[in-house]
This record gives sequence, structure tokens and C-alpha cells, in this order.
Amino acid sequence: MTNETVSLDNLRANQPRFSGLTSGHRACLGCGQALAARLVLEAAGPDVMIANATGCLEIFTTPWPESAWRVPWLHSLFENTGAVAAGMEAALKAQGKSTRVLAFGGDGGTFDIGFQALSGMLERGHEVLYVCFDNEAYMNTGIQRSSSTPHAAATTTSPAGRARMGKRHLKKDILSIIAAHHIPYAATASVAYPADVRKKVRRALALPGPSFLLVHSPCPLGWGHEGALSIEVARLAVETGLFPLVELERGSVVGVLPLREPKPVTEYLKLQGRFAHLFADDPRAREELAHLQALADANIERYGLRATAGGLDTESADTVRRGGGQWA
Amino acid sequence: MGVIVTPGGFALPGTATAFKTGTWRIERPTHVHGVAPCHGACLAGEDPQAWIDRLARGDAEEAWRILVAANPLPASTGRVCPHPCESACNRGGYDQALNIHGLERFLGDAALARDWAYPVTSPPPDAPRVAIVGAGPAGLSCAWQLLRRGIQPVLLEALNQAGGIPRTAIPPYRLPRAVLDGEITRLLATGIECRFHERLGRDFSLEELEAEYAAVFLAVGTQKSRPFSVEGAVPRDLHYGLDLLRHWLAEGAVPAWDEVAIIGGGNTAVDVARILRRAGVRAVHLITHERIPARDVPEHERMRAAPDEIAQAVEEGVIIHENRMVRRLILRGERVVGVELVHARKLREGERLRLHAFEGTESVLKVEQVIPAIGQVVDEAGLEKLLGQREFLRIDEEGRLAAGSRLFAGGDCRPGLGTVAGAIADGARAAAAIARLLGRAEAASARGPVVGPSRLNLHYFDHAPRQEASVVPVAQRHGDREVQEGLEAAAAAAEAARCFSCGNCMACDNCFTLCPDNAVLKTVTPAADGSHYVFDYDYCKGCGLCAHECPVGYITMVAEE
Repeated sequence: MTNETVSLDNLRANQPRFSGLTSGHRACLGCGQALAARLVLEAAGPDVMIANATGCLEIFTTPWPESAWRVPWLHSLFENTGAVAAGMEAALKAQGKSTRVLAFGGDGGTFDIGFQALSGMLERGHEVLYVCFDNEAYMNTGIQRSSSTPHAAATTTSPAGRARMGKRHLKKDILSIIAAHHIPYAATASVAYPADVRKKVRRALALPGPSFLLVHSPCPLGWGHEGALSIEVARLAVETGLFPLVELERGSVVGVLPLREPKPVTEYLKLQGRFAHLFADDPRAREELAHLQALADANIERYGLRATAGGLDTESADTVRRGGGQWA
Repeated sequence: MGVIVTPGGFALPGTATAFKTGTWRIERPTHVHGVAPCHGACLAGEDPQAWIDRLARGDAEEAWRILVAANPLPASTGRVCPHPCESACNRGGYDQALNIHGLERFLGDAALARDWAYPVTSPPPDAPRVAIVGAGPAGLSCAWQLLRRGIQPVLLEALNQAGGIPRTAIPPYRLPRAVLDGEITRLLATGIECRFHERLGRDFSLEELEAEYAAVFLAVGTQKSRPFSVEGAVPRDLHYGLDLLRHWLAEGAVPAWDEVAIIGGGNTAVDVARILRRAGVRAVHLITHERIPARDVPEHERMRAAPDEIAQAVEEGVIIHENRMVRRLILRGERVVGVELVHARKLREGERLRLHAFEGTESVLKVEQVIPAIGQVVDEAGLEKLLGQREFLRIDEEGRLAAGSRLFAGGDCRPGLGTVAGAIADGARAAAAIARLLGRAEAASARGPVVGPSRLNLHYFDHAPRQEASVVPVAQRHGDREVQEGLEAAAAAAEAARCFSCGNCMACDNCFTLCPDNAVLKTVTPAADGSHYVFDYDYCKGCGLCAHECPVGYITMVAEE
């Protein structure tokens, strides 16, 4: 082994993967969204443009006069990301350029506020990959519930207390709504499965027409867990069946990440402060725990998540290999 | 990089790096090379994780070089060591422990087959000379470790061949002589001087050695059986287990008996039992107050012989009487006609274990011969002054006989040993102490904490079955044919790939992939700490995600000052 000193700047400039989002951004410790955005760009490659809805991602990456983005990036409004991305795509097409357009939004900007613009973009068939970083509440403005907040989770606008055990309603099934647009490709992914995220980005961009990716991205602040546990929490969401990883083409399920041995939902819930009230000695808490378990069981049944052969993930999506390379 | 102030609503790409988010940090991730449990448990001081890693990367020769730096006789120890490394293996709690002894043997055999060169250069002609008495595992190990440090070892062996116990007392069906001879011949050829027919107390004295050499290492072993009697009764025509073994190995014959009782639960007892079965003795009874090793048998109650050997002995028809001791020899004149057995167990009394016999549990076993295999002691010839009335040589933690002395000892001649691997460690320890005595700089061997299963992130490992080599069926176990076969190359590669790499970076890319702040950078060649990554503390916020997701427990969070 030869001793050679390399400066960190030099090393940073010579990393084996494209990093579209640099260090220095102001995300919280252990932010799932910051990781998810970088993973998406690693696969989408440098020749892209981004329209970014209002939200955490927009705020923490661009504290003026700095930007953490290394690709052309535009802040749209909360409600019009789909429309802005559609316009960018049309303009690039008119100029005969091959640059791909990505639209980034949180769950607030996607499930709620920007929903009609997204629907229009999909309906008109714009060749845009819309990525929703789903952290299941309005984190940027102070953890208010969104239509993506899971049932029974406590937020500042769906607090747990005497009246209710957190959010009263269910998490919106956005994927089924997207599926109803019959677009070429739609999928769910999780930051706990980086290889899977990248693979799905590549598949989405390989097909002509609009595509949609929902990436489960834990928020340590809003969910109430240590930043070190972001991946663990995201992984348990998948392993319990609460956040199934599926792929749809033209609205039909074409692939799922099978589960070795589905874990009880309590393993996922007990790590998070937003579900702490479900572990109180209270009959309503017990009922809600059973309700969440039933929702997970229904997901497993609906998408056929249970691994049938060998008891292993068919693609061993998340195992490590000596010398790296597994996160292709 | 300075901040460029731009018109409102516009920023240059990648400029956020001007802001050092590392200032937020209250804990920093650090790389800590922890001790793998196999390393902590190895009697010979090997770090199996290190060499298995090389084997898994496809470099078997480099793996062997790392292995022999600690243990120069891997083909032999891979066959005879009771491998406590495997009992400690973290994989044991996940699916099945790694077949570490099988891999060690695989590398040892590969070195023999391909004649890989031992990584050492000959010492200069004016190098200090150190005498080593006894060319068994401890002596050979000490010689090898001295040679690696540029010191000339001189081995003095009483017999006409080197090898010690592995040669004189381990049957060839466990350790084929071609393997032992091959390994020792290759080792001696590295530049170790070895003189045969040199017996301490007959051909030379300790005083002569001390006058002639810079230091002396005594690895004389235990050449005398511990005197046997039951309540003062000693049968005529008594054969000690070790003598029978030596006789069998030298002459290939034992007296023609029909029914015998062997007393003892160690490797000698089991080996004698097996050779007697091979020689045609109809009923071979083994009497031990210990028990056959099994998962639910506490460590202190287990027979000291290697579990695989005990299982094979039972397969071959040896009858083991567990939890029994001989209370009385039934003699007609001085001839044994039977033994009276009684149930017995070692029980804890405070810190100590005491053997209790239980009245009313007596039974009689009719045998024509009693063979004690209850241990050996040091032969006092030439060591009278050092030994006094004791059975073993007493040494300090460096292996020295007395403070300030240039006399060292190790192997079976000190109390409490009994394994080849332990003897190898003794030899290495003495060599390090001798090197210090002779003014050589010795790297401090500070070890980190042992990495237990809770430090690993087992989510990232797939289940995989342990690769086992085949065992020759009982009906085909004749003569010297080796009972346990070796792993094939493909099986060895598959087995090496199962290693969890506890406590040491396996370059899996997890930290590099999962850092939300791009604060883990991948290096082109291994970094100074041996990993493949460096932390960029300018940007690391100290979230600890990398440490939590590290599959091997190589990253530890420490508080910032």
C-alpha cells in the first residue's frame, strides 16, 4: 500500500457516482428526503432539469445566495409543479433538446395542493418523471397533517389526546389515483432500498410518456425518532407491509418487493413519537394498533407481498457484498 | 469557495458547500477496527476475520500469508484444533457459525500443494541466536516468530524428527503424516536451525545454553505420565495412554486385548480408544467424570477432547461412560479383572470446582486392562532446579521463568495448557518477549473491544448454509485413512463469503450510499485507517445513520469535545 495524501476537495470531485445534490444543504440530521433526492439524481444523471414544489426540499437546498443543486433547478409554487414541469418539457422538446425533466414535490404539494396540476400533466402525456418525497405531513411549516399522513399518527393539527388518537382519516391511496391515469410507469420506493430507488428511476425514464415515483422518506423531526434511525424506520415500514414497494405499468401491478417474514406493525410504530400514544394503556390505543395491523395485512394481501419460495427477497435487494457494487 | 452574491432568485450551482454544516455536530462518526469474536477466542492468536476477508476477495495466497504470520502450521491446526473461534462466531446466533477450521485447513493444504513461500527473510549472519528446547508446536512457533523478527532460532530436539505431540501422539487418521511432514519441512526450510538427538540433561545442560545463547525458550512438553493408582493399588503390566499411542504410531501394534477401560476425557483418551478399536479390541470403554459436549452441557462439564473426535469415536463403537469415576480396581493378585465405577460430577463450590462421587451408584465393569490417560507432567531431567517438587514450569505473563531471567518457557510444560493452538500462542508470546529483551521494537498489540452481535446490522446479510466437508463412513475408516475430508475450492469460497466481517470494513458502500449529507467520500485506494471511506467533517452533521446502518460495526459515534 502506498501512502498518498489526497485533499478532500480533490476526492469529492472524483467520486464514482454523480451527485446532483451537494453537501452544505440545511436539512436536519438524518433527513430521509435529502438522501432520497440525491439517490434519484444519481440514477437520473446530470442531463436533467428540475421543477421543485415549495416544501422542505426547496427550502433546505437553496438558502439564497447559495444552492446545493448541481443541475438546472427551478422553484415552482406549491400548487403548480406539474404544470411548470409540463411547460419545461414542452419548451425543451420545441428546442429539440433531449434533457429530461423531473418534478419534485413533497406529499403536501402532491397529494393535496398540487394535485390537479399533477393530474393534468399526466393526462396530457408530458414526458416528465414526477417524484413525490413522501414524509407524510407538512414538515416545513410545522408538522401539520396532510392527506398522506397515516391513520392514527399525531401531528400538530391531528394531535393525540382525549378526543382522538391522532389522525382520524386514512392515508390517501395516491397510487391508485395515479394508476387511473393509465400512465406507462408508476411505482413506490423507499430510501431504505437505495438500489431499488435507482432501478425504478431508470425504468421510469426508459419508457416514453409521464411517470410517477412515490419515495417513502422518513422525517426524524416530524415522526419523532433519532436521525440515526431513518433507514431502520423506513425499512420497517416496508417490512411490516404498511408501505408496500410496488411497480405499475399502465395501471397494472407488474412487480412487488416480496417480504421474507412480515413483521408486526408495532415494530415500526414503537420507534416513532408520532405513534407513542398507541402504546398507552387505553382501549382506543389497542383498537388503533389492531386497525393499523389490519391495514398492513390488507396491503400484503392486495399486492401479494409474501415471499413464496425460499423465504428470501427474490432479488436480495438490500444485502451487502464485500467491495460494494450492490447499490447498482 | 467564496459566496457569490447573485441577483435575487438566482444562485450558482453547488455553492452550498460554502456553508459548513459540520459545525452543527455534537457526535462524530469514527472508524474503529473492533475485534471479531473469532479473533478474541482463537487460542493461537489468529485474526480469522482478516484472512477470511482476503480469501473471500479471491486472494488465497495473501490470506495464507496473513494466517501464518500468527500460526505457521495451519494445515495441522486446521485438523486438530477444537476451534473455539467457531463457538464464538457471531454467525452462530444468526444461522450457523462459519467453518473456520475448514477454511484454515483449506489454506494450509493449498500452501502445501502449491508450495507458497513463507513470508520471511533470513536473519543476517551476526543476528543474535536463541536456543529453543523442543521442536513441538510451541518451539516451532517461537522459532518462526523469532525468524520473522530477524533473530536466529536454534531448535534442539531430543528425537530424530520435529513435530512434538502432533507427531508422537496424534493418530494419522486425524493428522496425516504427509501433511505434518510437509508443513514442518517447509517451515524449517525458512532458515530455522534444527539439531536432532539433543536431549536436555543428557546432551546439554541449561547452564551451557544460557552461556552460549542470547536467550532460551523451553518447550519441552510433558514427557512423563502422571503416576496412576487407585487407593494405592497399581496393577501389574500397566500401560499409560500416551505410551500406547506412541507405541502404536511407531510400531503399528498394541497388545491383543479383548476388553479395556480407558480413564480420562481428553484427546489422548479418545485417541487411544480409537486406535484400540482399529487394532481390533472388541470392547473399548472410556470412563470420564465429564460429559459428551452438547449445546446444553455447561462448558466446565464437557470432555476436553474435540467434539468432532468424540462423535467419531462413538460412531466407531467406543463406549463412553459419562459422569463416572473409578472408585476401586478389582484385582486378582496384581491382575485387573474389573473396575468399580461410581457416578461422579464436578460441582461448583464458590470459585472452585470439586469432584463429587455419589454413594449407592456403584457398578462393576469387567475389563482385563485399565489404561490411564489422565494427563502428563514435565520430565525433570535437566530441569531439576527449576521444577523442584512441581509438575509444571511456572512462568509469568510474558512467558518468563523469573523476572530478569533470559529463560522462557511455554507449551504443555507450563500448567493449564493442552492444545496445539495454545502452544503456538505461547511460542509467539515468548518470541515477542525475547525480541523486547534483545532491544527490538515491538508494535504494541492494543486490541479494540470485541464486536458482539448487537453491534452488527444483520438486516444486510442473507441466510446461507454452512459448507461442510464430508466425513469418511465408519465402514471405510481403515488404518491411517484420514476421517475428515477437506473443503473443495468452491465450497471454501462460498464459506468465506458467509463471514460477517465483524468489526472490520468490508467496503460494502452502505455509509457512502446512505449519508444524507454526502459527507462520506469513497477513496480510490484504502484510506489510512484501512477502510475505503473518509468522513468529511466539514459537512458531517453527526446524525449517526452511517453507524447504525454499518453491517459490521466498524463505525462508532464519539462525543465532540
